[in-house]
Amino acid sequence: MATKPVPDHVPPEMVRDFSLFTSPGMSPTPNGDPHAAVACAHDGPPIFYSRYNTQDGRGTWVITRVADQRKVLQDAETFSSHRSIFSSILGETWPTIPLELDPPAHGVFRSLLSPLLSPKRVRVLEPAVREQAIMLIDRIVASGTSCDAMKDFAFPFAVSTFLRFLGLSDDRLDTFVGWGKDLLHGDDAERPVAARTIVAFIDELAAMRREEAVDDFMTFIVQAQVEGRRLTDTQVRGIGVLVFVAGLDTVAAAIGFDLAFLARNLKDQQLLRSEPDRIPLATEELLRAYPPIQLIRVATKDIDFEGAPIRKGDYVSCATMIANRDPAEFECPNTIDLEREDNRHAAFGYGPHRCLGSHLARREIVIGLEEWLARIPAFRIKQGTAPITSGGHVFGIENLILDWS
Amino acid sequence: MRIIVQNAKCQGHARCAAQAPEIFKLDDEGYILPGDIEVAEGEELSASRGARSCPERALKLDRTPAARVE
Repeated sequence: MATKPVPDHVPPEMVRDFSLFTSPGMSPTPNGDPHAAVACAHDGPPIFYSRYNTQDGRGTWVITRVADQRKVLQDAETFSSHRSIFSSILGETWPTIPLELDPPAHGVFRSLLSPLLSPKRVRVLEPAVREQAIMLIDRIVASGTSCDAMKDFAFPFAVSTFLRFLGLSDDRLDTFVGWGKDLLHGDDAERPVAARTIVAFIDELAAMRREEAVDDFMTFIVQAQVEGRRLTDTQVRGIGVLVFVAGLDTVAAAIGFDLAFLARNLKDQQLLRSEPDRIPLATEELLRAYPPIQLIRVATKDIDFEGAPIRKGDYVSCATMIANRDPAEFECPNTIDLEREDNRHAAFGYGPHRCLGSHLARREIVIGLEEWLARIPAFRIKQGTAPITSGGHVFGIENLILDWS
Repeated sequence: MRIIVQNAKCQGHARCAAQAPEIFKLDDEGYILPGDIEVAEGEELSASRGARSCPERALKLDRTPAARVE
């Protein structure tokens, strides 16, 4: 893919040969560790410019430090999230909601959706999530002493949880996972096809719920009122697409990386298995170590930010996996210490767009690890196999073959 | 000890409430309720842990003894 030229206002000495897409360890790599690979971003200046750092090959500023990412993400007025990341794949400009809305419109939609994913609400959803985890793991245990933890557990667990949240049955789970794969990891031909398919699906679902109300998320959305008015079709689509895409890949990737870590670190595995009370704290450390996404903002005005001459329209990348290895914020950032106490990690972002699904995601990981460790004895990566990891738009892991024979 | 709550900075991470649910109370959306928090004796450790866990730095510790209003 052609790299766009560096804009004139970027001083040449601030350009670094670094990219979440093309740097070493970012392409699919057997036994890779893409999160550790990006920690090298801290070897240089705290802010630099990368020529090729988005899915569509655009250059971005790269903010490496937690303190600076917090400043960028908390200042939605200067650093907008409206960049139509999904709809631009289709050559359109509608925002996913609330992610790509700026305040004050953002707050209105955020308040509409927050109660559906609040800590209180997640506690209500928890028993069903746990039941699903147990069902999947019991099936794995019954079928032998080895499995593909991504295909047999992480994906069906994460995707069925959010399908249930959306009010959809999971008999089309494989189809949805396929759409997600094409959208997030596909090539230039696959992505628009997947995006169109997802839009058509969400539009159709909304139409069905308008026709006949049931007790589910989409019915809530089509019936909701914001400032005394029903949502427009584009707004309903913006919300539906966001929730659908957000749940497809991220939690599964996190669980996959976590299980891969535990498979390679039997002492840590044993610690959590024998003292499951430690799992919630350990999960925060695993969220720090293996977050899957980078957040991108667009400058709404010229600003000299911590020495970087950022100009209106520039992209500014706040990669969670880079912030989470910041030595100024975390002691020994490259050591994964499941007993780490001070841990204000960036996995769910900072500022008004903090991941709306964070409470559900966190509990899914905790429950997934609890039930996995309670039912599966000491497990390792199966000899002769190698999980394939990748960087990019959403960091991922495939074919995690575990063995406990 | 007192915890100064900067509501404008709270983004609903709920890390404080996970540390000490009896000290940090959230609203229905999951954001912290307004008003500074007087920490009872014996709860200082979990209160300061909760405050230090805030990713947004919305919670500040004030260790000076509470001013007495006569």
